[in-house]
Amino acid sequence: MKAPESENLALAVHHRAQGAFEKLVDEFEPRLFNYANRILDNRFDAQEVVQDAFLRAHDALTRQYEAARVEALAVKPWLFRIVRNLAFNKRRGSKTRLDEPLTAFDDGRIGPLVSGCSVTAALEEHQERQALEQALSTLPASSRELIVLRFMEEMSYADISKTVGLDESALRGRVFRSLKLLRDALSQNEVTHAV
Amino acid sequence: MQCRSVLTRIDALRTGELERGDSVEVESHLHTCGSCHDSLTDVENFATAVRSLAAPRRPGQESLVSTLCDSFDSIDVDGTRVWIAYSSNGVRAVDMRASTADEFRKSYGVRCRRELRQQPVPERYRKAVAAALRGELSSAPDVDLTGRTDFEQTVLRIIAEIPRGEVRTYEWVAREAGRPKAVRAVGNIMASNPVPLVLPCHRVVPTSGGIGNYGYGPAMKRKLLAAEGTPVEELETLAREGVRYVGSRTTKIFCFPTCRDARRIRDANKVGFHDLGETRELGYRPCKRCTPAVAA
Repeated sequence: MKAPESENLALAVHHRAQGAFEKLVDEFEPRLFNYANRILDNRFDAQEVVQDAFLRAHDALTRQYEAARVEALAVKPWLFRIVRNLAFNKRRGSKTRLDEPLTAFDDGRIGPLVSGCSVTAALEEHQERQALEQALSTLPASSRELIVLRFMEEMSYADISKTVGLDESALRGRVFRSLKLLRDALSQNEVTHAV
Repeated sequence: MQCRSVLTRIDALRTGELERGDSVEVESHLHTCGSCHDSLTDVENFATAVRSLAAPRRPGQESLVSTLCDSFDSIDVDGTRVWIAYSSNGVRAVDMRASTADEFRKSYGVRCRRELRQQPVPERYRKAVAAALRGELSSAPDVDLTGRTDFEQTVLRIIAEIPRGEVRTYEWVAREAGRPKAVRAVGNIMASNPVPLVLPCHRVVPTSGGIGNYGYGPAMKRKLLAAEGTPVEELETLAREGVRYVGSRTTKIFCFPTCRDARRIRDANKVGFHDLGETRELGYRPCKRCTPAVAA
């Protein structure tokens, strides 16, 4: 899941090649915004974080890092990590943690994903997509971010590890638990709908 | 392998990220355990479903590029090529040195730590810069000094107020900026003025007299000042005589030589001073318009 093109892009930014930074912004902005927004659950804060992240990335690529370091840089996880740090800093700053669900992290036994809730066929429906969206929003930020990185960004565990800073086997467990939480939230929703 | 270990590995198996030994074990478990096999299908379904979620729209229509990057282009003023960088808040940089767009873009990147996109310069900035180069600019357009220190910004705002056709000393600027000893610092700020011509650093001269140096050479400074109606030759003559202030015998007020009030004094009533001590001895007070000294 490497993206050699964006790696060269970082080097181009380092050398201040014409239009390189714009290309970097165009390529990553929507995805970084999505990530920040899923962590912060606030579009304006997310916007600010992404903007700040690009300024920092630009400064690092053009001033702080030497060419060799830029060349060795895994750009995608690096950018996501900058956004992640800024986003979680911002969360910490805004004391209201009310958006965090009370049943934060179920570290108990991992059971199989029961196929009882019918994500299978029904998810093509717009309604079902909304249900998934809704379920995702009830998850703790630590799970939401993993779902985004793994399933929306389709990043490898190695890259997620670079972004989040945990080792791969720990991440595998967390990703699975996050999926389980998502499934629980989804089936809970369905029950409420039925009643 | 137990179900628990298998379940945390099925997602990595899905994308072929497991080490070989691991994946053989997990696969053989999946053949025998129906429940774990179902979980693999579920993970696959979830992966597809989550991927289909639309990315949320960020607020605002404008691309982030336009807030992260500034714009630039060159204009031609009577055969001189002038590079102008600007943001949505005002002029960011003016330069007559760079010979190519790339050279200007890169030097701007180093100085201002921002990227530039080539885009036509708005009419009002083009007109202002052209007028400034011809010595005809009466009021400066908006400038964007983001990234400069407070003191730099203060100093640059002060020199913007020096009237066309007049000059002030570095000492005067430092005093006006509230740091009378920072004469050297003012000199450095003039030397690194990001928007020469528009913010008239050429109207700042040495306290010892004369017109002093300029980023584009003293000849350019002389030409600009002359075009603005500054009596350059008179300034140089006074400098040779060591005269730094002129006063009026009738009003007992003294000024900088280029102050428009000083230029109204009749030759018969005009008196030159070499330093502030002389003015005090003779009981002259500083002009309130050009403030050559703090009023006693």
